Order: sequence, then C-alpha cells, then structure tokens
Amino acid sequence: MTQDEVLTGVAEVLGRIAKVDPVNVGAEQTFADLGIDSVTMVDVVVAAEDRFGVMLLDDDWSQFTTVGDAVGYIQQLAATGPTGVTQPAR
Amino acid sequence: MSDSDLRVAIIGGGIGGLSLGLALRERGLRADVFEQAPELAEIGAAIALSANSLREYARLGLVDELAAASTVPSELIYRHWRDGHRIAAEPVAKDNAYVGRFGAPYFGIHRADLQKTLSTAFGVENVHLGCRLVNLVQQSDSVVLEFANGRVEHADVVVGADGVRSTVRRWVTGADDMVYSGTSAFRGIVPVANLPSLPDPQAIQFWMGPDAHLLHYAIGGHGESVNFFAVVNTPRIWLQEASVVEVADEVPVASFRGWHPAVTEMIKAAASPLRWALFGVRPLLHWYRGRVVILGDAAHGMLPHHGQGANTSIEDAFALAGLLTEKPDDLEGAFAQFQVLRRARTRKIQRSSWVTSGLFHLPDGPAAEARNEKVARFVQDFGWIHEYDVQRALHSAGVAPAAAAQARA
Repeated sequence: MTQDEVLTGVAEVLGRIAKVDPVNVGAEQTFADLGIDSVTMVDVVVAAEDRFGVMLLDDDWSQFTTVGDAVGYIQQLAATGPTGVTQPAR
Repeated sequence: MSDSDLRVAIIGGGIGGLSLGLALRERGLRADVFEQAPELAEIGAAIALSANSLREYARLGLVDELAAASTVPSELIYRHWRDGHRIAAEPVAKDNAYVGRFGAPYFGIHRADLQKTLSTAFGVENVHLGCRLVNLVQQSDSVVLEFANGRVEHADVVVGADGVRSTVRRWVTGADDMVYSGTSAFRGIVPVANLPSLPDPQAIQFWMGPDAHLLHYAIGGHGESVNFFAVVNTPRIWLQEASVVEVADEVPVASFRGWHPAVTEMIKAAASPLRWALFGVRPLLHWYRGRVVILGDAAHGMLPHHGQGANTSIEDAFALAGLLTEKPDDLEGAFAQFQVLRRARTRKIQRSSWVTSGLFHLPDGPAAEARNEKVARFVQDFGWIHEYDVQRALHSAGVAPAAAAQARA
C-alpha cells in the first residue's frame, strides 16, 4: 500500500469520526489541530484498524502527534503484519 | 422473531453469561448456559453496577430485588493517601444527583447477591453446571461442544462469556491474549463497625498515593459492610499459573505502610492474605470466528479502575441479544455489527482504566496535582461511560430496541 493510499484511508476515517472534510486532511496536521482528544482518538484508532485490517498497539498509537505518524505506522504494519498480535485464520 | 429456534449455547455462567441468557429471553430466544464450576459461586467479593447496565436490568424488573441487597454511595470522593484530605468529591445519592444525571441508579452489591438474582430470573434449569468446555468443532451448520464430563452438545451459535482466561477466545484468536498489568490487589469485606477511623463510610472513595491506591464502597441493603480493593504496583512480573496466591499475613498491611489509619485499619481488619493478579486482554481485531463469538472479559478484559468490567459485559449481552434476534440467519453480519457497536466503546474504557491506574499511583508532586484537577472533573470527563444506553445504540444502528421489539412480538 502506498503512502498516498494510506493517507486517503486515514482521511476517510477522520472524516467519519471527527467530522472533518477529508480533502483538508494532510500528513503534517496534528490530531490536536483536528480537535481530536484522547477519547475520540480511540474511535479513530479502532476505525483505522477495521479499515486497514491491522491492530494499532496502544503503546504505539498513544505516541502519535501528526496524521503522518499514523500513516507511516499503518503503512509499515500493512507491509509486515502487526507485531505481537496473532490473528486467526479466517 | 420470537419464534426463532436458534440454538444458543453460552459458555460461562458469570454475570455476562447470565445477562445474555436474560437478554435473549427478553427477545424471545432461548439459550443454555454451560458453567464449568459445580455450583454458581461468584468469586471476587463485590462489584459496582452503574446506570449503563442497571437501565437494562430495570427494564427486566430486577432493580427492586437488586436494590434490597445494595448500597447507593452517598458520594464519590478522592482522598490523599496520607493525610486523608478530600481532593475532589461528586454527589451520588445526595440530592439524587447520579440518577438525575444518568437516568438509573448506582449500586454497590456483593457478586453472590447479583448472581443469585440473575440465575433465579434466568431459571436454574437452563444453567448446566460442572460443564468445562474442552473442545469446539465447527461444522457447516452447527458447532459441536465437548465438555470434560463427557457431555456433547450441538449449537447454532456459541457465545464465550468465559472471562479473562477464556477458552473460547483461544479458539477464536488462536492465541493466549491475556496480559498481566504489573499490578496486583488485596481485597476484602469489612463490617463498617470495625472501621472507626474511616470518614464517610457510605461513600465510594479512592485513596491515591505513591505506587498504590485503595478503593472502597459500602455494600448490603443497609450499607453495613465495606468492600475494598487495594492495588499495588507489584510484582512487575507474574510468575504463577494461578491468578490468586497466598502471601504472608503481614504483606497486605506492609504494602500500605505510612498511609492514613483508615486505610491500614481496613486492610488489617480483612485479614485476607491473598494477592490477586490484575490481568487484562490485549485489544483484539476480531471477536468472532464462524458461529462463535466472545463477549465481556473474554473479549476485552480490562483493569477495574472505572468499575466497568461487569457493566460492559452486561452492555455486550444486551447488544448481542438485539443483533442475534435481528439477524438469526446472518450470524457473520450480526457478529460484525456487534463488533462495530462494541469494540470502540470497550477499547476506550479499557484504555482509560489502564491510564487511570498510573494516575492513581503518582507520588506527591506536580503530576499528582494535575491528576487531582482531572479527577475533580469526573462527571465532565467520564460521564460518557455512565450515560451510555445500549438500546439507543442499537436503535442508531438500525436494530429495534428491546422495548419496541417486545411490543412488536
């Protein structure tokens, strides 16, 4: 998955959860700028997990500041599979 | 859908399992509960039931019976570990504040009393004791359940309500997803008469200090006893197989040396030399596989610092009952929607409980002062936990809420 594809997906998630216009979401923006507090961030994380089919570990996503942090992390997960999380055969 | 003949097998006769049985019956579905213990005997002393679960039990007409065995806390109070001063307080019973804000009461109750009410309402004939699940075999149109006592059952749907050490979860995820929190607890129930140093014995109170905290609230129909839960940041690693182990008699009190006399008096009065490891379940991407789904602690076992382990299990039960009734022929769709409805909410509480554990255990200093300002905003910051209404959430998701479904049937 390319960086642009992940950014588009994350922007879609942010549009749905945080009611921001996805076209205005850029990698340099901070979640705080988008009005996302620590509780809403969990909605974003869970929606992103469902969107991309990977688990975002609490210790990792809690360090995100910008949208780009999330995009880079998800791109890496999508390429290598989540570390330390076993998923069943579907 | 009241004539659906879906065979639902619930693994686990705890609060979540029995609540699911009741929630399914409310919607006209029958279920059988399989419990590994030879009798229904809840461990773990007491729990607090909050508005988010009690509004469900209220609709089933169970609240008067529960109220007779419960205490409504006078206030929620946060205190300093050593000098005991009030850091923050919110009225609960006082001025009917909690019911006024959240639309249902808040009860401190012994688990055995809750389980008795639930199992009696559900009907003991549908609870099968001494049935420890040892194998699940999924077939194209059913699941075969094999129990250690030789019993074999067939079901259309299997729900794992079998707790943080869930056997069903292992089958669903293929892994052991239980995680030790690095914290453990001492607990006990003490008659109020034995606690002369305790201010506000009818309140729910958190005493917060370095590397530990103590929570207590009154239980029983007349607030005659206090249930406490004293949490410490040790051991860092849990080596035993059992989650409850004996410790030397002096260990619980020694862990709170230097704390306010009310705290040490309470722990000493309980004289319970047991240490309970606090485990959670790592967040999971999938709560189901085929015809098998998990709920409650099995799906999202959390630290107890918001008092929401049982309450979120009850929410799960009523949500799943609504979805199974709506989509008995599309289990995959029902389970997927169950996750969508429940995963974010429970993850938030799970996460917040984890963070809260650290906040409660701060040493005196600037970080603790910032924490003190935060706990003073409890209703603003955490009202969302208690105001949740699972029937409203179902309605928003296009599923008939229970009262409407009953009227239709």
